[in-house]
Amino acid sequence: MNLLIVILLFLALLLSRVTSLKTAVNVLLAQSALVALACTIVAVDTGEVHTYVAAALTLVVKAGLIPYALYRIVGMLRREREDHPILNPNYSAMVFGCMIVLAYGLIDRALPGVVSRDALAAAVSMTLIGLTMIMTRRQAVLQIVGLITMENGLYLVGLSVTKGLPLIIELGVFLDVLVAVVVLVILTYRLKRSFMSTDTSRLKKLKG
Amino acid sequence: MGQLIVLALVLPLVTGALTMAQSGQQAIRWINLAGGSLTSLALLTIVYHVATEGVVNAGSLYVDQLTAVVLIVVALLTFTAALFSQSYMEQEVVQGHISLKQLKRYYGLFNLFVFTMICVLVTENMGMIWVAVEATTLSSALLVAFYFDRAALEAAWKYVMVCTVGICLALLGTILLYYAQVNASIGQIQALSWLALKSVSQRLDPGMIKLAFVFILIGYGTKAGLAPMHTWLPDAHSQAPSPVSGLLSGALLSCALYAIVRTFIIAKSALGVAFPEQLLIGFGLLSIVIAVPFILVQHDLKRLLAYSSIEHMGLITLGFGLGTPLAVYGALLHIVNHAVTKSALFYLTGAIIKQYGTKHMMRIRGLVSAAPMVGCMFVAAVLAIAGLPPFSVFYSKFTIVWAAFHSGSPWLGAAVLLLMAGVFAGMIYYTLKIAFGPAPSRVSTGYRPGVPALVAVSASMVLMIGTGLYLPPWFDTLIDQAVVIVTGGGL
Repeated sequence: MNLLIVILLFLALLLSRVTSLKTAVNVLLAQSALVALACTIVAVDTGEVHTYVAAALTLVVKAGLIPYALYRIVGMLRREREDHPILNPNYSAMVFGCMIVLAYGLIDRALPGVVSRDALAAAVSMTLIGLTMIMTRRQAVLQIVGLITMENGLYLVGLSVTKGLPLIIELGVFLDVLVAVVVLVILTYRLKRSFMSTDTSRLKKLKG
Repeated sequence: MGQLIVLALVLPLVTGALTMAQSGQQAIRWINLAGGSLTSLALLTIVYHVATEGVVNAGSLYVDQLTAVVLIVVALLTFTAALFSQSYMEQEVVQGHISLKQLKRYYGLFNLFVFTMICVLVTENMGMIWVAVEATTLSSALLVAFYFDRAALEAAWKYVMVCTVGICLALLGTILLYYAQVNASIGQIQALSWLALKSVSQRLDPGMIKLAFVFILIGYGTKAGLAPMHTWLPDAHSQAPSPVSGLLSGALLSCALYAIVRTFIIAKSALGVAFPEQLLIGFGLLSIVIAVPFILVQHDLKRLLAYSSIEHMGLITLGFGLGTPLAVYGALLHIVNHAVTKSALFYLTGAIIKQYGTKHMMRIRGLVSAAPMVGCMFVAAVLAIAGLPPFSVFYSKFTIVWAAFHSGSPWLGAAVLLLMAGVFAGMIYYTLKIAFGPAPSRVSTGYRPGVPALVAVSASMVLMIGTGLYLPPWFDTLIDQAVVIVTGGGL
């Protein structure tokens, strides 16, 4: 489990330096697969059927359908990359590192002495890193990757504090995430057609 | 009654599916008119049943008086929006702005959107409420982006990004709520069931609930358009087709507020009243404060109305935050009144934009002489939303402000009055400029908004004036009972 957490944090840090869209999706795929693995480990521990189902769904939805949709759109956006990020990769890595420290600080204050301290801290830092990514990246696809990272983080939070939400709610969450990605991919495709680019910093017409 | 709720959920889905299968414009029209009316009728029957017979609790479906108040909004707006869409979308097709395929997509998404809003209201489970609220974002996102032009894409992108991030925080809050429930309950629990949460609320860990409430308030507050998370709202409301703007502003914001109020009830019971109420008052007041300057200096007619929605959502949140029975009564009544009035205004704006071909208020002049019917109704509706008697909005606004003075915070009441005066000045200033004077010669006076559109708006106008003068006793009792639920009486 600890090894898993270390790899997950490493992947999250890796996202801070990624400028190519395809690499970002690769990292996301690896991340989601690891989250599914973590879920399976919890399932083996508790022996609950619904945790197995959740693990299988994570694998299918987050490591299967979502990356597939993203690969397709990235295939269409051959020349797009993050050219001038708001934070350059070095600062970005530093900020992401700070997020991990912040997450540990938060956990120790809000839930002192919780059993799954490291897993929870990793989950919260993934959420924060996802949020930072949405705010500091201009490329539409990278923002989507940030969103899924955030969602993966939240999923891990649920997994580490309550062994996951009830199955029916979990199903709804998966459906929502999947549809959200489909909607965002449609919008990204349209952005490319209308603006000749998927750089969201061009979206600044509506003001006041 | 359980079957009727299921019917109300299935009807929009069936209507949407049937629409997608049609190829004639007439068929699409009639199917949607019938579907919208039937859905509305089913919902109103449920509401009336709850008002006279009491709470419906059928497994995971649950409708109490608080739900019923917001269900009224969804019922009325589904009907008027479906009716108004008839004329509005037909003209879009005739003018060649959209194709038949797009028309089908519009109605399909429209019905899906209505379905998700009903889902938010009729589930009893906080987790399912989260799922449904996120589904409302997703089903309405492509309606906001409906025209797929640059502005619409920008609005839709911001809408999905801001609301999904917000709603992720609400998910975190919901997880924490579940954690608190697991720790407080003994043995088998009904996970995240609102009734179960309420029954153990005294035993929930206050620190955890505090954290959960803050996250959930920020999350659903984003959807309800509370400042400072409101940034998506003016863009989305101004770019969506007018019937959808009405639905977003009236029904969707109310549904998001409903989700906040459900959590608020739990939080109050677990934490004591002080913290949750102060938080709501703070967000409410901030929303009103932020809306005022944007209303005073505005150039876009639909954005003006969108900022007015932020102001009203702030006022309602403030009413819930004050927490006295009078204030909560005002807030609940205001949800209904605001929805009816604001949706009518958005519909009228749709007709005005069609006639003048612009949303820019500087280019809209002499509305009353160019289109007497629409012009008069527009002026009346603006006076209504600004809070003049005898329109219904006046009474609910008045009740909230009165309650603010009564609850021992006269400064708060005075501040709200002052801010409302600012909003009033802005709204009236622009309306006078739009409505009166000679119309520009390029504007044709021959434009007709269409009979269904006029019927939809007139129905709203009748409700606005009617409920301002007379509240049916069953409706009054319904709100009274909802007040008891919010202020923490019995279940």
